Amino acid sequence: MQKKKRNLAPYWLILPSLLYLALFFAYPMARGLALSVWDDEAVLPLRTEADLASAEVGRMHQGTQVEILGQQGNLLADTLGDETNLLTELWFNVSGQDVDGAEVSGWVPETRIRVREEADDGTPLQGTVRRRLGSNADPLTTVFAEPNENSAEMGKLEASAEVQITAVATLEVWYQVRGEEAGQTIEGWAPSRFIQVFGDEVNGRIDRGTAGEFTWGFFERMFNDRFFGPAVRTTLLLMVLIIPTQFVLAIIMALVIQARLKFNSIFLYIFAIPLGVSDLAVGILFFSIFTQNGLFNSVLQGLGLIDAARPYLTADTRGWIIAAIWLAEVWRATSIVMVIVVSGLQAISDEVLEAAELFGAGLWQRLRYIILPLLKPSLQVALILRTILALQVFAVVIALSGGDVVTVLANETYRQYFEFRNANVASAYALFILVISMVSAVFYLRAVRTQQEIAS
Amino acid sequence: MSQSGIETAVSPDVLAIQQKHLRRQKLNRASTYVIAILISLWILIPIFFIFSMAFTTQEAVRAYPKSILPFIPFSLDTMRFFLNSEGIVPGLINSVIVAVITLLLSTIIAAPAGYAISRYIFPGRNFFRLSILAVRAFPIVVLSIPLAVLFIQAGIFDSIYSLALMHTALALPTTILVIGSVFASIPYELEEAAMVFGCTPWQAFRHVVLPLVLPGIAASAVFTFVLSWNEVFAASILTLQNRTLPAQILFSLSNSSEAYQFAGGFFMLIPALIFMFFIRRYLFNMWGQVTK
Amino acid sequence: MAEIRIENATKRFGDFVAVDKANLVIADKEFVVLLGPSGCGKTTLLRAVAGLGMADEGRITIGGRDVTYLPPRERKIAMVFQSYAIFPHMKVRDNIAFGLKMASVDPREIDKRVNNAAGLMHIEKLLDRYPSNMSGGQRQRVAVARAIAMQSEVLLMDEPLSNLDALLRLEMRAELKQLLAGIGATTIYVTHDQIEALSMGDRIAVMKDGLIQQVDHPTVVYDLPSNLFVGSFIGNPPMNFMRGQVQQNGALKVKIGDFELEPAERMKPLLKKYDGQQVILGIRAENMETLNHPVADGVKVQVRVVEPLGSQNLLTVKIGEDIIKVSTHPTFNVAPNNDVWLRFPADKIRWIDRDSEQVLYP
Repeated sequence: MQKKKRNLAPYWLILPSLLYLALFFAYPMARGLALSVWDDEAVLPLRTEADLASAEVGRMHQGTQVEILGQQGNLLADTLGDETNLLTELWFNVSGQDVDGAEVSGWVPETRIRVREEADDGTPLQGTVRRRLGSNADPLTTVFAEPNENSAEMGKLEASAEVQITAVATLEVWYQVRGEEAGQTIEGWAPSRFIQVFGDEVNGRIDRGTAGEFTWGFFERMFNDRFFGPAVRTTLLLMVLIIPTQFVLAIIMALVIQARLKFNSIFLYIFAIPLGVSDLAVGILFFSIFTQNGLFNSVLQGLGLIDAARPYLTADTRGWIIAAIWLAEVWRATSIVMVIVVSGLQAISDEVLEAAELFGAGLWQRLRYIILPLLKPSLQVALILRTILALQVFAVVIALSGGDVVTVLANETYRQYFEFRNANVASAYALFILVISMVSAVFYLRAVRTQQEIAS
Repeated sequence: MSQSGIETAVSPDVLAIQQKHLRRQKLNRASTYVIAILISLWILIPIFFIFSMAFTTQEAVRAYPKSILPFIPFSLDTMRFFLNSEGIVPGLINSVIVAVITLLLSTIIAAPAGYAISRYIFPGRNFFRLSILAVRAFPIVVLSIPLAVLFIQAGIFDSIYSLALMHTALALPTTILVIGSVFASIPYELEEAAMVFGCTPWQAFRHVVLPLVLPGIAASAVFTFVLSWNEVFAASILTLQNRTLPAQILFSLSNSSEAYQFAGGFFMLIPALIFMFFIRRYLFNMWGQVTK
Repeated sequence: MAEIRIENATKRFGDFVAVDKANLVIADKEFVVLLGPSGCGKTTLLRAVAGLGMADEGRITIGGRDVTYLPPRERKIAMVFQSYAIFPHMKVRDNIAFGLKMASVDPREIDKRVNNAAGLMHIEKLLDRYPSNMSGGQRQRVAVARAIAMQSEVLLMDEPLSNLDALLRLEMRAELKQLLAGIGATTIYVTHDQIEALSMGDRIAVMKDGLIQQVDHPTVVYDLPSNLFVGSFIGNPPMNFMRGQVQQNGALKVKIGDFELEPAERMKPLLKKYDGQQVILGIRAENMETLNHPVADGVKVQVRVVEPLGSQNLLTVKIGEDIIKVSTHPTFNVAPNNDVWLRFPADKIRWIDRDSEQVLYP
């Protein structure tokens, strides 16, 4: 007997989108969360020797004051070629005659050789040993087995001896530092690029670490950011201004569309245009109206209401900027609410409305007792969607205020990332927006449900 | 009352009430028109103003007070100046490339999923739908920063292709739901009929379903194009040299002339003006879905 | 030859058993109607035959070929769908030709068959139109034309008339019956309308709760329902049911209220077993004799409602504890609250076991 198998087709069909969203949505979201609470460069391990392979003596936090005790080169890994702040020294592999006249070859620091001949691409080929200055300096230059002063001595070269240069090695400078961490003095080696040395060349601080650590620091920095308070206040103020206006206007627009006027299709087109307009374009649109020589002033002057152009979008007229942003957002994002409301209205049968009319309900009463209660699910969805979008208001604000005079949360996210190059604090801002979005969504869901419960 | 009163159709009283009712209906109708026109003006006047600013001389753009009549003098000067500004033409090309890749990618990935949620009842279907809705409700801002960091690490930062990947992630949930509702509007019975009359499932899809859903899917694709074309935040975060048009305009907003800004604003409006005309019928199809 | 055999076909949706071990043999060129209330499994059974929802258990053969798990396209069937399933993006002509094109029939032959089918359904003038602006009746004709153009030996129809308004349905019913008799395909026709079933089918299979209750010729199903459900579902008004007490005081009698009824001789041995118990009596409204004067073997009842229906007057009366409907000649003159006398012809009464609700056969 044949047994029917479970149909796997739908799972294959949704698989591509699941994979895509996992890769480009879920994973980045998890990374975003990590970015805001995980400091990748918090701790720097110190080593017993100027060598990554050597044992760790202890760890120091970013910003710890240290004393520079010494420095030494270490062969640079190829992968570090693009790193910034690299402090390097060069060593040459040379061959020539030592003090005893024997052939010797080995490594000497680049500072000991004067290059006399170079290939076309700048590779040094031949040079002479520099004379050491100073009265009690060793006149001879030591040749080492490896590009490291601790390696075996191969021989010594006299000053001005001619040498052939056969190879060049780039070494990274390591510092030996001493500092206090958690009440203990630690002494050890670390690559120079992680340490910032002060002008006196003796003191410095740990610039960044290589190991990560959980931290609330980025959130603290966000809360302490001087723009944080204004951004939150303005964002909330805009939400309170925009959303109610939008809903009233959207319901009116939806009722107009549902009235099926003669040019309904054209009205629908016009009402829908803002749906396809970007927030930046809307920002510019309203900038053109409220700028000093813009439409608003021109009309006022034309009507004789003002004598000269008045400024609206300046630091002294924050109220006007907020009003302009408010109007711009109402202009732009009411359409989406309207579309959702119309969809909801279409689900209400004409018979219900006709019945209400028959029982003597006027337009306002029908709206109040029939339409709005039946629209509740649609309005709830629209409210959630709009709140989330209102939290993302960004380009409108930049276009109308330059992003300084009036600022919002999304703008601060952008500023942190772009101007201060701090992806961690930017992530903290982004998560803050996410949390407000979710809290308000849950709030709306609750609020509407309790109303239904009361009704029933 | 006399019997004749019944026979002579309507009494004067009834007639008066009827007329009053008719008058009121007409008045209601008229006021609805007035409201419709007022709202239309509220939407159209800013567009019209920036349109007339974009097609005049730069002197006229700077002038104050502005002329009441539009396009005085009519000139392509402002437009020419804008298009010749640094980064605009490459930005334009980038925007189109990103939008086209986004619409292709999201449509190709979303169409099977849309088909699945509209045609199959399977364990996990509701969970999938709900997660799609939840994903759509996520703020773009939240996604952009970590993606930028990831793209930098993966070495594909500042590329229009990686921006298209991001825009696809943004558009995908909506596209899945919209295409799902498009498929749901085609009765399954049609597919069954095709299969009874000799089609394999794939032939039934190709001969019957595909021709019927294409207009709806095209509308969804157009909407995706507009979404990508308009997206500013992610585009500004994810690109530096290879900016899209909105990102380029945003970047140079603070140190550019008003002529540049107005022409740029107008340029970004064009797709909305054109495409909304074609897809207005499908809007409710797209967004009605969210309430179900 | 296209005999359809359904053997022990079972179809489940989760825990719900939509069709429960259905057995049905439909002879070649026979017209069988699947009749039952909505949700009884008739459409599910039809879809199992069509291959649109394969049976979980059992076997279905068409013309001796096991098709139980074949996809629909390999079953050589044609079907008319309840909502017609006309392809909205194709002209009527292409709709009718669709199946033939899929079968790669010669284009000239397709043309001939399309015109022929359109002619039979009187839709020649619609051939080059799109279905979008057509009426329900026109779409229905297109759907039927599409099915008959296939010239399949098996034709399946899923409530083809249910979406038409009453008058059109009546007209189409006769037309369809004539047409189907002409083309001679083995036909399964699903409907919930018992009049449609009675008027069209060679045989009727009555279904309830996934079980086939009775399969027989329309007159038999009407006259001799196999159980209480079939009797109550078929006929307008449905069969009347009364409770009676079997009593054997010398002669075997059945008491309905105060009235004592003598059953037909051939039923007596059977009813003996029910001595002292209740049975259910079933009788059709038109099978009772109504008199407006007392008779010895009649029961006096009071008329509650009189419904003049033109061809008959339908009386509602109370007998014992039960309300029944009685059909009388339209000239029978009676007003509510009048008394009338009913006579029950013994051979028209169906005796039903109260617990099993099955009709008792001697």
